[in-house]
Amino acid sequence: MSQEKLIEIKNLKTFFNTEAGIARAVNDVSFDIYKGEVLGIVGESGSGKSVTSMSINRLIPNPPGEIVGGEIFYKGKDLLKYSYEQMSEIRGKEISMIFQEPMTSLNPVLRISSQMNEILVKHEGLIEEEATKKSIEMLKRVGIPEPERRIYDYPHQFSGGMRQRVMIAIALACDPKVLIADEPTTALDVTIQAQILDIVKRLRKELGMAIIWITHDLGVVAGIADRVAVMYGGFIVEQAPVKKLYSTPKHPYTQGLLSTLPKLEGERTERLESIKGQPPDLHNIPDSCPFAPRCIHVSEKCQNENPRLEMTDPEHQVACWWNTEKENYSS
Amino acid sequence: MIRSTKNNDNSIFRRRWNKFKTLKRGYYSLIALLFLYIMSFFLPLLINNKALVVKYNNEYYFPIIKGYISGETFGQDVPGEAKYRSLKETFKNDENSNNWVLMPFYPYSPFEDITYDGNKMYQPPSLKHWLGTDNTGRDVFARLCYAFNISISFALILTIINYIVGILVGGAMGYYGGKFDLFFQRIIEVWSSLPMLFVIIIISSILKPSFFLLIGIYTLVNWISMTYLIRAEFYREKAKPYVAAALSMGQSNFKIMFKHILANSLVPIITYFPFSVVAGISALVGLDYLGFGLAPPTPSWGQMLDVGLSNISKWWMVFSPVTAQFFTLLAIVFIGEGVREAFDPKVYSRLR
Repeated sequence: MSQEKLIEIKNLKTFFNTEAGIARAVNDVSFDIYKGEVLGIVGESGSGKSVTSMSINRLIPNPPGEIVGGEIFYKGKDLLKYSYEQMSEIRGKEISMIFQEPMTSLNPVLRISSQMNEILVKHEGLIEEEATKKSIEMLKRVGIPEPERRIYDYPHQFSGGMRQRVMIAIALACDPKVLIADEPTTALDVTIQAQILDIVKRLRKELGMAIIWITHDLGVVAGIADRVAVMYGGFIVEQAPVKKLYSTPKHPYTQGLLSTLPKLEGERTERLESIKGQPPDLHNIPDSCPFAPRCIHVSEKCQNENPRLEMTDPEHQVACWWNTEKENYSS
Repeated sequence: MIRSTKNNDNSIFRRRWNKFKTLKRGYYSLIALLFLYIMSFFLPLLINNKALVVKYNNEYYFPIIKGYISGETFGQDVPGEAKYRSLKETFKNDENSNNWVLMPFYPYSPFEDITYDGNKMYQPPSLKHWLGTDNTGRDVFARLCYAFNISISFALILTIINYIVGILVGGAMGYYGGKFDLFFQRIIEVWSSLPMLFVIIIISSILKPSFFLLIGIYTLVNWISMTYLIRAEFYREKAKPYVAAALSMGQSNFKIMFKHILANSLVPIITYFPFSVVAGISALVGLDYLGFGLAPPTPSWGQMLDVGLSNISKWWMVFSPVTAQFFTLLAIVFIGEGVREAFDPKVYSRLR
């Protein structure tokens, strides 16, 4: 893996002003994305993974959302200082997104051709005919049969999986450097999921873009990601290469998540484990470890101080007092 | 470029149009109204007191194009402009010359009154005057036809201007939201609390409105309802995922508003259109009836109604504008009903 940093996020804080108070959806999150790598962001609902990815593209609805602090560097330039016009040059051209809901992410009353071409016309300055040619080429790449004919269809004439392919084709039409995939397979059934994953893997090889793959499905992440960040309550609690994370999870939350997966081996009578308790209320995050109320290794220090993300080895970072102490004992 | 015709037929608007065509009442109303409205632009060729062609002493004259030609040119002993109807009679009686006059199909103008060429007041309907003459000797049928064109044009232009203002202001309010939205909402609230009929009457009694001034005054009143409708549509649509998707691909606000959102808000905009035209026609008739509309010699249904009601014993003077208005409004309402039905996805709600 080349070590050229594409995106560098430093202390990102994205809050939502709601009637119940300020919801700290993303709380001091820092991570990097290198050229051509796939970073998986894993977490349960409300852990801030989607908001983190939307923040990169500055797509937080404001009001109520607001990026209150931090920096997002893309190729060394801070995106948070960009104007709307500058940002719209980045969006779609440099950083693209695909969304969770393929059924509603395409405009229902416009033809696919019109929706694909407008991006190419804007970013690549192509004329309509060239754009159509390029769009057909992209549709072929994502495996739409008969793209010359299908490009003039309307979204309602496609199935869910086909629509997600179209979304991927649109997102990759301008050859972006980063693709943010916000749970793109969640709304699809399992066979289609596998197809979409294959398409993305293949296109990544062909086009060489970096991918941020957001999901709550640990199986999907294992299949596609190089590196995984686990989010909980608006914090990143653990970050490691995918093999390392799955073989030696360090944070109790990651351990818990992995133990909830059903296994093929082992006793049949064994019940599936679950993590007891509820995810934290984002309006009211105390200055303690957000996972403390549900943690089986909780100690007094966990209740008083929020652990910071620390390196346990050059590639593995974890934010947990229990772990730090354990490391200290063993060394 | 390869295009399959089969797939192009799947456009939702094409399907709605096809459905609209099956709703006979609305479809034929639309055809009839469109035909009459297009014809009404050629009214000067069909209903006029100026001759189309005059051949006099082996020379051809085209008064309909040239406009004013004095009566003396044709050896007619009248002050000012030639009277073509009597000229035609003269030429016909004079068997020695090969002079002739080609008059329009219905040789009366809506503006000629009792001072012109033998017109008489209160003539009942006859072959000469199809719907009789009014209290100043003007031909009722001619006025009726010209008023049709003016009424529909007024309502169409008014509606289109309202739509443009409504879509621009309402769209921006709904899409951007925030302080801009709040500001315009308060303006609309204050504005809509004014007693609008009185405002219009006051303004038009001071200004003596022309056609376009009246449209301007009416727009001041009417932009509100359209703006609110469009605002609500944009407000609802902007939260849909396809807007976020378009934004994430770097699309400009302008394109998102007027390509993506507007295309999805067309249903209420189009179904509202015919009824908005009905309202426009009724408004013009109402103002003209009260005498605050278009300045008097302009043919208008409201003014004809006013004159007719003060001469109630001359039945044709009331009957004509009322019937014309009734059938015009009925046709537009039929169109509106057809459009609404064509856009309605629920089949069972069809009116039968």
